[in-house]
Amino acid sequence: MIGIIANPSSGKDIRRLVAQGTVFDNMEKVNILQRIMAVIHSAGLRDVYMMPDAFSMSERVRNNLKKSLKIHVPIKKLDMICMNDQTDSVRAAKLLQQMGATAIITLGGDGTNRAVAKSCQKVPLIPLSTGTNNVFPKMIEGTMAGMAAVVVERDRDKRFVKMNRRKKLNIYKNHQLIDLALVDAAITNDRFVGARALYEVEALCELAVTTAKPDCLGMSAIAGSILPVGETDDYGLYLKVGKGGELKTWVPMAPGMMQCVTFESYRKIEENERFMIKTKEGMVALDGEREVPFNPEDRIDIALSLEGPYVVDINETLRHASQGGFFIEKDGQGLTKSKAYSFYMK
Amino acid sequence: MKITDEALVKLYGDMWLIRLFEQRAADLFATGQLPGFIHLGIGQEAFMAGTYHSLKPGDSVGTSHREHGLLLLLGIEPKSLMAELYGKETGCCKGKGGSMHACLPKNGALGCNGILGSAQTIINGYGFAHHVRNDGHIAVTIFGDGAANRGDVHEGMNLASVLNLPVVFIIVDNGYGISMSSKDSSVVPDLSARAAGYGIPGITVDGNDVLAVIEATGEAFKRAREGGGPSVVEFKTYRHRGHFEGDPTPYRSKDEVAAWMAKDPIPRLEKILLERHILSEDQMQAIKAEKVAIVDEAQKFAEDSPYPTGPESYADVYYHYEGSE
Repeated sequence: MIGIIANPSSGKDIRRLVAQGTVFDNMEKVNILQRIMAVIHSAGLRDVYMMPDAFSMSERVRNNLKKSLKIHVPIKKLDMICMNDQTDSVRAAKLLQQMGATAIITLGGDGTNRAVAKSCQKVPLIPLSTGTNNVFPKMIEGTMAGMAAVVVERDRDKRFVKMNRRKKLNIYKNHQLIDLALVDAAITNDRFVGARALYEVEALCELAVTTAKPDCLGMSAIAGSILPVGETDDYGLYLKVGKGGELKTWVPMAPGMMQCVTFESYRKIEENERFMIKTKEGMVALDGEREVPFNPEDRIDIALSLEGPYVVDINETLRHASQGGFFIEKDGQGLTKSKAYSFYMK
Repeated sequence: MKITDEALVKLYGDMWLIRLFEQRAADLFATGQLPGFIHLGIGQEAFMAGTYHSLKPGDSVGTSHREHGLLLLLGIEPKSLMAELYGKETGCCKGKGGSMHACLPKNGALGCNGILGSAQTIINGYGFAHHVRNDGHIAVTIFGDGAANRGDVHEGMNLASVLNLPVVFIIVDNGYGISMSSKDSSVVPDLSARAAGYGIPGITVDGNDVLAVIEATGEAFKRAREGGGPSVVEFKTYRHRGHFEGDPTPYRSKDEVAAWMAKDPIPRLEKILLERHILSEDQMQAIKAEKVAIVDEAQKFAEDSPYPTGPESYADVYYHYEGSE
């Protein structure tokens, strides 16, 4: 069974006002889902569950494919109450894991995948980006994601599926594990959550990242401007940001927005290393969104774990599937029959 | 985002003033003391207080029919607004505007147009005036999810974009246009997505979080003041009452109402004020008591005021052109 979690709220945050971000309309998400579902359907797979949402994306996908491709896609909605917030993704991921999903396709940003990772540690994710500031999910054509999902579902022996386990940062407040980040945990001097998205470098005090990429936007790019750290490297990076430092780099903080960041110091974070932050009062922003406020009497610790979610490498999976003959037509059966697959699955 | 403790305390007081004023209006309407229709903004205080926080004196603000609260913050005295709801001559429009058309143009409180959705073209006139005067002020228009589907709104957004006017379109999606769910009246759940069609930014924000409202309006207003042009800011919120007082709301479920009550903006701000040690429980009670006294005074003033009589009853109702009889 394949699961789909599409966040209807992603792609509309304040970065559209303060930077050059574009609105990612939900109709475009429906369009991507149609491409994914059309591929899954053409492979003869019918067992697909999707998170319900206020926009009724699953119904729209079903209706649109019926009209355009004349196919009936029996996409099923998860049996859950929709709260129209981040907790929907958390609950949907938990349900999909319990129901034995072989893969979960996510449409959203870093925050959506963070919510999924909170409750789902075993099922591999196929994350598609529907925004501009994302590091964890890939900006890739939905058709390819659908093909990767087909390979994961069919390739039970895991001959072709290539995946890697990502890192995460565990966040402790007063010694209690309260949250996690998949890419970055930024400590800011903000006192309030507000509109959530972090875009002002002036507010930044400390930064911990699992992944430091110079070819992305936001927090990971800050770290990536000094020392790139890959998604599968077994360490992370901690940076102390401040005007007292001598090292300055230019960083793409948001779409089209370059800002100069000054560092006091930086160092690697080792696996399971747990450290206390230095800032006395402010906010912990997780994967670019202000989430956890703390006062002077609170203690905030961050620890790097290598046991984050499994993520399917779409490009490598399709490459290996191709090399293994996964896509070869057999006996004129086409993709709608599973013979070709069963031949290669033996 | 930066905001002082003093500003937060003021926001808290503002939100309570709105709620208490509206609750009193509900009570007075239920006992037959207020004429006509009233549409109350209980539950929507955060977007009103937060939007006001980001405005500057001299800005022009067109409200809808559910924003008594914003009119209070824009400078209509509670006594004057309550008298207006009563239809008394001491009201801000001498009792002839009533709930729907209460306004105070000298403070930039333009009031509500009788045809919802049409004010979004009219606001461009104010925006154009600010643009021509180059006075650094902006024009803001507030409308609901129902009005957002009307044609004039799109004409207004298009023209504002073409002329790069300092206009901010604020959509208040409170779930229903009268009894029509916004889920059933629009194919896009986040109405801010409409902005993309006019080449302007659009964002959707939790309208029950006053700090999120302040950050969103702060950036949108700043952008407009600095020549960045129009934008669309959508607030997701919920009216605790029906569309109008007396509406039994058969179109919404108890579960839905309960879920939104749990997102009530005032307790959410109280939680922040307590967590950040900005106000104690006692101090919050004192602020609330102060606002109760203001509303008591407003009610008494309105009750004691006379209705317009004689020729005054007809004054200011129709415009008399020079030479006309």
